[in-house]
Formats: sequence, C-alpha cells, structure tokens
Amino acid sequence: MKLEGEYLFNGPREEVWNIVRDPDVLATCIPGTQTLKQVNENEYEGAIGVRIGPVNAAFTGKLTVSDEIPPESCTLTAEGKGAAGFARGVGHVVLEEQGSDKTLLKYTGELIIGGKLMSVGQRLIDSVGKSMINKGFETLDKTLATRLAAKS
Amino acid sequence: METKYFGKRIQRNEDPRILTGQALFVDDVELPDMLHATFLRSDYPHARINSIDISAALARPGVIAVYTAKDMGDYWKPGPLLVPAPTAIPGVVFNKRTQVPMAREEIRHQGEPIAVVIAKSRYIAEDALADIVADLEPLDPVVDVEKALEPGSPLVYNDLGTNLASHVQQENGNYAAAAAQADVVIKAHIVIDRGIAGAMENRGLVVQWDPKSQHLTVWATTQAPIALRNGLSGILGLSESQVRVIAPFVGGGFGPKIMVFQPEEVVLTWASMKLGLPIKYIEDRQENFLAMTQERNQIHDAEIALTKDGKILGVKDVFVQDTGAFNSYALTVPLNTQTHTTGPYKVPNYYSEFRVAFTDRILVTPVRGAGRPYGVFVMERLMDLAAKKLGLDPTEIRRRNYLQPEEFPYRTGIIGQDFAKNILDSGNYPATLDKALEMIEYEQFIKEEQPKLRAQGKHVGIGVVTFTEGTGVGPYEGGRVTVEASGKVSVATGVGTQGQGHYTSFAQVVAEQLGVPVEDVRVVTGDTDQFHWGAGTFASRGATVAGNAIHAAASLVRAKILKLASKTLQVPEEDLVLENSEIHSATHPTTCIPLGELAVKANPSRGAVEPGAEPGLEATAYYGPPYGATAGGTVAMIVEVDTELMRVEIKRYVIAHDCGTVINPLIVDGQIHGGVSLGVGNSFFEKLVYDENGQLMNGTFMDYLIPRATDMPYIEIGHLSTPSPLNPLGIKGVGEAGAIPTPAAFAQAVENALADYNLEVREIPLSPNRLFELLEESKTS
Amino acid sequence: MSDLINVKVTVNGMAYEREVEPRMLLVDFIRHELGLTGTHVGCEHGVCGTCTILFDGSPVRSCLLFAVQAVGHEIRTIEGLGTIDHLHPVQEAFREAHGAQCGFCTPGMIMSVLPFLEENQDPTEQEIREAIDGNLCRCTGYQHIIQAVELASDKLAEQRQSVKEGR
Repeated sequence: MKLEGEYLFNGPREEVWNIVRDPDVLATCIPGTQTLKQVNENEYEGAIGVRIGPVNAAFTGKLTVSDEIPPESCTLTAEGKGAAGFARGVGHVVLEEQGSDKTLLKYTGELIIGGKLMSVGQRLIDSVGKSMINKGFETLDKTLATRLAAKS
Repeated sequence: METKYFGKRIQRNEDPRILTGQALFVDDVELPDMLHATFLRSDYPHARINSIDISAALARPGVIAVYTAKDMGDYWKPGPLLVPAPTAIPGVVFNKRTQVPMAREEIRHQGEPIAVVIAKSRYIAEDALADIVADLEPLDPVVDVEKALEPGSPLVYNDLGTNLASHVQQENGNYAAAAAQADVVIKAHIVIDRGIAGAMENRGLVVQWDPKSQHLTVWATTQAPIALRNGLSGILGLSESQVRVIAPFVGGGFGPKIMVFQPEEVVLTWASMKLGLPIKYIEDRQENFLAMTQERNQIHDAEIALTKDGKILGVKDVFVQDTGAFNSYALTVPLNTQTHTTGPYKVPNYYSEFRVAFTDRILVTPVRGAGRPYGVFVMERLMDLAAKKLGLDPTEIRRRNYLQPEEFPYRTGIIGQDFAKNILDSGNYPATLDKALEMIEYEQFIKEEQPKLRAQGKHVGIGVVTFTEGTGVGPYEGGRVTVEASGKVSVATGVGTQGQGHYTSFAQVVAEQLGVPVEDVRVVTGDTDQFHWGAGTFASRGATVAGNAIHAAASLVRAKILKLASKTLQVPEEDLVLENSEIHSATHPTTCIPLGELAVKANPSRGAVEPGAEPGLEATAYYGPPYGATAGGTVAMIVEVDTELMRVEIKRYVIAHDCGTVINPLIVDGQIHGGVSLGVGNSFFEKLVYDENGQLMNGTFMDYLIPRATDMPYIEIGHLSTPSPLNPLGIKGVGEAGAIPTPAAFAQAVENALADYNLEVREIPLSPNRLFELLEESKTS
Repeated sequence: MSDLINVKVTVNGMAYEREVEPRMLLVDFIRHELGLTGTHVGCEHGVCGTCTILFDGSPVRSCLLFAVQAVGHEIRTIEGLGTIDHLHPVQEAFREAHGAQCGFCTPGMIMSVLPFLEENQDPTEQEIREAIDGNLCRCTGYQHIIQAVELASDKLAEQRQSVKEGR
C-alpha cells in the first residue's frame, strides 16, 4: 500500500523538526501509543493499540530514523507485529518552509500489512490509516502551538 | 422395469435427525477430559523461522502442551502423495513436494501452522497463541503463477532450483497440421482465478487415544475415512485395526475434505498419544480461508482451428496452473481440465500442454468441478468466438460438432485423472441441446423477446453451453448388506457422506432388491469399523461406484434369501416374491415367511450346518468400473445486465441433464441445484484476492461473497437418461454437474446481453467492478 | 482468567443455570455448556446465519452475543421444535421438499424461517428469498429450501385452520 500526503504546521521548520524528533511528544501524538522509548540515538521501541473494524490489534514494534538531514528530511522505518498480524512501512518525510511561520510536511511511503489485519480489515485499513495520520498531525500541531506560546 | 423404490422421489432417511438438531457432527462430540487445540499460523506467505519461544504460552494457566515441529523429532516428515504421480503420461515432469505437519525451517504459505497449543478450553488455547513469540524472517514471496516460472523468480523451494512442479504435454492427432489447413484459427487468452470450496462446516477433528485398549478413535470431517485410517496408522506405527476413523454427519465436502494427512490430523493424533487424552480441534472460518485447500488459478492460451462452415479441425490449449506451496494431490485438477476441454465435441486434433507452478499460496486440490469447469470455459469461449467470427448461431456451431450417440464409446486419446486414456462411455448431447432449447424457448427468445426488450433499452442475453462430466471413477468401492432378525436391513460402505443423501439412495437400491421399505434399511457410511475397504467420496462417484457395489451385495443377499426361502417354504425360487419384508409364493400368497424369521433361520444358534455354509443373510460385494462414466448436459441461461450498477440478474436458468439412470430424482435435483450455486459463485461473486505481497485480502464471508438466496435463479431441470453401459445400474454421477457449465454459460449470456459494446469475457470470476472495467475498456477500444 | 458469572436463561422452556466466563459466546454456551448441539457454528463473524436462534422470539446470531447478554431472556433452538418421531410442520416440510442436504445450515435456516412464517403467512417466492438471505447454504442452491418454506406455509395454514375448527 502506498502512503502519500502532506500537512501544514503552524510554526517554523526548526520547531516542527524538534517536536517530530522528540519521542515523548511522538508518543502522545501517535494515536493508540502505549509506550515509546528511545533505545539508541535513532531507534525507538514501543507498543501500540489499533482498532480496525472488528479487529482490535496490539502491536509491539520498532521505529528507526535514518538519512537524517535536520531540519529538512528523514526516512522512517517502522515494523510492528502482534496477534492480529504485522505491519512494515518505510516513509520519507520532507519539511518545507512556507514563509517564516508555517511548515509543510510531505510524506511518501510504502506500507505492507499482513495477517488477520489484512484478511479481515482490509476495507478499512486505508481510511483508518489516514485518519490516524491526520489525528497525529493535529495533535502535533497543538503541541507545537503550546510550545510556541510558552516561548513567546 | 417396474420398480417400487428405485428411481422414486423418496424422502430422506437421514432427515429427521438433521432437522431436529440430533445429527452428530464432529464438533458435537464431547468426551471426558477432552482438551482443545488451536494452531499458530503464519501471517507471512514466505518466511524463515529463526526461533519460536513457547515459554510464556506454556506458563499460562490451563495450557497443557505447546508443540512446534522441532518437538516432533523423527515423527516430523512430509506426508505421502494422496494421488500417485501420473507416470503413465509419457514425458511427464513431476516434482513432488507434500505437506508437512508444521513448518520447521521455512514457511511456504500464509496460514501454514508453526505451533500448536493444547489447553483445557479453546478460549485458553486461543489466548495462548498470542503468548508465543515467533521470530520469523520474511522472504520474498512467490505470488503470481506466471512470474513464478520466469527466470530470476524467488523460489518456493531453493533445493528444487525452479518453481516448476509439473509439465505435461498430450496430443491426439496433429494440431499443427490441422491448423495449417484451417480456414480460420481463433486464439484467446483466458484467466481463471482462485476460489474456496466454502462448506458451511469448517474442518474438525476429535482424536482419542486410549492407552488401556491401545486404540485410537478419530472423528473427522473427512470425505475419505478409510484413506485417513490407513494413512494415520502407517504414520503412527499402529496396526490398521488399532485405528477407527468415523466421519459422522459432515457439513458439506465439495472436495477439500478429501485431503488427508493434513497437518492438524498428523499433529493431533501424535499429541493425543503423547498426552493420553482426547483432543478436539475445530477450525474457524478465518483459518478455513487460510488453511483449507482451494482451487484453480489457471491461465490459458488457447486456440481453435475450423473450416469456414464451422467444423472443428483442432484445438490447442497451453496453460499454467498454480498448485500453491505443495502438490500432494498431484495432477488431478489440471488433468481434469485437459480431459474435459474438448467435452462433447468431436475434435480430431487436440494438443494440450500445461505447466504447474509452486507459489507461496495455499495448496490447490479439487473443489466441486475439479478442473472440469475451466476446460469447459476455455472450449466454450472458443466456440463462441468462432460462432461470432463465422456468423453462426452459437447453438448451430455446437450442433455441427457434437459427438453423435452412435459414436460411443469414444476414445479421446488423452490420459485423465485415472491414468488411462479417456473414453466417453455413452451420451446423447444433441438431445440435451434440443431439450434445453425447448425449455428456454430459444427461438422465441432470440426472435421476439430479446429484440422487444432491447428496444426498451434492456440488456438481456442468452448463453447456451454443452458440457461433459467425467464421473464414477475407480478404483472401487464395496458394500455389505445384512438382514437382521428384526427384518430390517443394515448396509455398510466405505464412502463418507457430506449431504448427498447416501443414507437414502443406497437404501433405495437395497429396498428394491429385498422388498423392504426404504426406512427399514439403515445405511452406515464413513465408519472404518463398519466397513474398511474403499477409496472415498470424490469425483461424483458415490452413487455410481458404491451404489453398484451395494446393489451387487443386495443381489447376493436376495439370492441367499430365495434359496433358503425356497427350501423353507417348499416353493421353487422362481415362484417366490419378496415384498413388504416377507417372502411369499406368487401363486399362494399365504405361503410366506417374514424376512426377519428367515434371517434367524439362516443364523441358527445350535445344531449343524452344511459344510461351507455362511451364516446369516449377508453378503459383501465390490464394484470397480473399467473406466469412468461420462454424464453430460446443456445449460441455457438468460441474463439481464444493469449497466448502471453492473448487476447481473439471471432471469432464467435451464439445465437438460443426463446422468444415466437416476436412483432418486429428488436428490439428483438437489445435487444439480447445489452445483449451480457454486457455478454462479464462480461466475460472478467468488474470488480470493491477494495483494502483491501474497496477503489474502478477503478472508471472511463479509468480503468473500458466496451466493445468497437472492443471488440465485430458479433452476429448471430437464432429465434425460442415457444409461451407462459400464455398470449394472446404468448410473452416472451428478455431483459436479451444475458447477461445470455455469461460468461458461454466464460469460456467453453476459456477452450477448452487452452485444452493443462488443465486450469479450475472457476471465472468471467476474464481479460488478470487473464487469464495469471491461465495459469501460470496450468503449475505448 | 476472569471471574465466573452466573447465567440463568430459559431455553426451549427449560430453566438453566451455569457459571461461565463473561467472554463466553452465547453459541458456545448453548452448544457446550447446555449440550444443545443442534445450533451450529459456521463463521463466527455474524454472516452465515448457521448459529441463528430465537431470542425472545426474534432471530439472532448466537455467535455475536455473549452468554451473559442472555441472562433473563427466553431462547429457542432447533431442539425446541419437533422430535425425530414427531416433526414440527416446518421440519416436515423441509423433509418433504428435500430442503436439507448436509444439514449444517438447516437448524439456523429453520430458526430464521419460523418467525418469518408467523409474520407472513402466505409469502411469495421473492419474499422467501429475502427472508433467508442472511442464511448461507452451500448445498442446495436454496431452491428446495424455498419450496420447503412454501410447503411449510401451507402446512401451518392447515394447522391454523384445524385449530380454528376445533379439531
């Protein structure tokens, strides 16, 4: 499955980069995240619960950040598995400055999903995935606003 | 011949039990201290097993045991071939790879078991599946059957060095020479995709090893109880007499339940012997989609060579078939395709070649129709294209090419699933066409009704297809008939029953011979302790092969009855009448003896008997056909296509069917109806969809659609009877009849309905989506 | 493991009481706790209709309910109709019309048909098709089932008539 999209953040690129690279922030922003801890500089481990239609899935997995060019771009590789199946994805994220106070995040990627999650939930994976991504960005944007407000 | 029970629409003996919920299915078996098993199945179609950690699962309260392949030691080994490799075919390539009990080093299809949990309840066992930590390393999956055979494809079996499982070439005559002389040669690329059998009952198994009696009892949803008993005893190192397999009421078979020595059977019998406790395993529907064998995915490049007046000179068909990760069932499916392609037609030159490829998908084995529908689909599509090209009515081109009734037995020269050169025993195809056309009022439809409806903007079309069905193949079946002291009769045979009404049709055969009411004949099928010779229920062979064996046994019992009654009543045998459970003199009806009383006389408790005397009124007999009996028929179907929603409604469905002599027309009708429903599913509803990574995307009944009552047409059946000369009863099988011609007739009818668009259907299954795409393509081309 | 919960239900007019886990499905409760194995399991996701029972008179899928949800309710299963020696008119009709082949979907099918024939005493073929649309059958192509329902409606009409006439 191909992933592609963008989200406009209300903040300068440096600030957006900082919160995207902050595991504590990420943990609160990825819907369903139960734990997310940094195991080394570019690697995180965690657990997440996802509900897709009739499938309630708990995953444990790993997130790796590579090809980092702060504050412009990076590649994220995620791998998760659980009783309901597995997911593996690679995504490339680019941050573009839109003037001084806005940042456009663009992402492209590929997601492989398997197991029960696919055979039972495939009709819903697309919409659930999109809604999770958007919810995540919205929460990030709110966190960003709070941080910016605290600074000013 | 005047009959009393044979050939009559008689209510079924088994129904009262079924209708009141008293029929015993495997999941209804409850035993003291019974444990419950579930299997951990791979989510990956292809992966290496690095490690499996079962410690957390074992620690869960209520879990009794967890096993992986490694725990099985030397007992772990690939299973036997269920069907021998067809070495009779010259030049055949067959690379054997059979199912293993559980994946040990490498996983080769999604759903392959990698561990089993045995617990006090199924709920606990399922919980424990989530406790198992399997470190699996995904490998590139082989998903596409055509790409599988290309150089550089990932391999399902590295040691084999190729994904080629088989290669078979057969030719009768010389196609190339025929094509060179032809006025027209028409080619078609035809794709047939995968589907499931979809019995309403999933697979199930209860195994009970009794350490004290050293006896294993297995209740299984199997179509082949005797083969399972023989195989399991061999695998487990037991004597066959130590193993009893019971196939009780089985909730639909349709092919895959013929599969024996499946992982679950091999693992759980071993586990029950290890634990000394009974174990139940009931597959759930999601597992059924991932673990029960499936059918087809063939891609054909076919051509037909004809004279300008539509006479067939030759047919060439080259196809690939996906066998999945194993080929335990050898080549039955593609050989059936090969032998059924030319069907009812006289094809003087026929070249057929297929390659079978291993892929990382579920194993392919016969499903109702078992390769036949795709041969018919290919041939009938070629006939339709030819009719169009030559400007002939589709029925006319068929009529010009039928084998004629006097041409039987007809030798096609092609070796089939029974490894002998195929012979069509008998048939009358023109008569089935006439009957079907009369029933559907063909002339009236195409001349009046269709033009009228088209003028109203309706897209209505008709399809007419003739087909053959090779049935009743060997090797043999047997039956034992016993008259009991009560005057009732018991019958035992080795085949299993999955709804075909054997408890009634076999009873009718016996009742006719012995003059007893059908309900007084108690038939036992599928219990190896009752009868332990036989092959199983497949290939529409139950009524033909077991039916004739039981008939032979009943005839022997009848002879014993006459002999003893003649002596007892002092009436010559030829003057005796068997009716109403008694034997009486034809001329003096009061000189009579009840059948039960005679049975007691035949089994004296004291005194001397004549040397060589056999006790009781009992006989066992076997029947093995020289070759299979070929049934056939013609289907005519009228459809209306809604070009907005792309729904296809089957307005009328007519089938003129010839399965020789019929034991019970009620049951035969039911068999045809059921076959048609699978055929409708294969035409328009049922397709297993995999993504490019080999993940099944529609593994539930929510997304994989099997026909519902509102999807099915009312089916009109016309019976013709060309008795088979091969067996005393003249029977031919009927189990797969409806499934075979339906996709081909559907395609023709849809094309005819959309004649304005010049759309060509070269694939099944279709769906509203796919039909929409084809319609859009036809608009742009 | 969760604490056991007391479940009291009436099934086919008999009161039953069992202690079960809260997650136990109603169909498993009926089949394995009560031993009424006439109700079958075909898909466990509410599509095939094989596990259909009457829940306070309405047809429901017992694979989509927990046993605890049935506390205090009246359940009717296939065992609550006729017996082997004395079939219910709907069962008789299924026998006469050959409405069952393997018999696996049959109990659920009959439990869907019963309330339908109470509501619609003289159904058309299309109405019957719609009424059994939620019950999958792989053996019959539905045709003999539809004929069985037509026949059952005649039999029930006769029965009503004879009750009316006080026979």
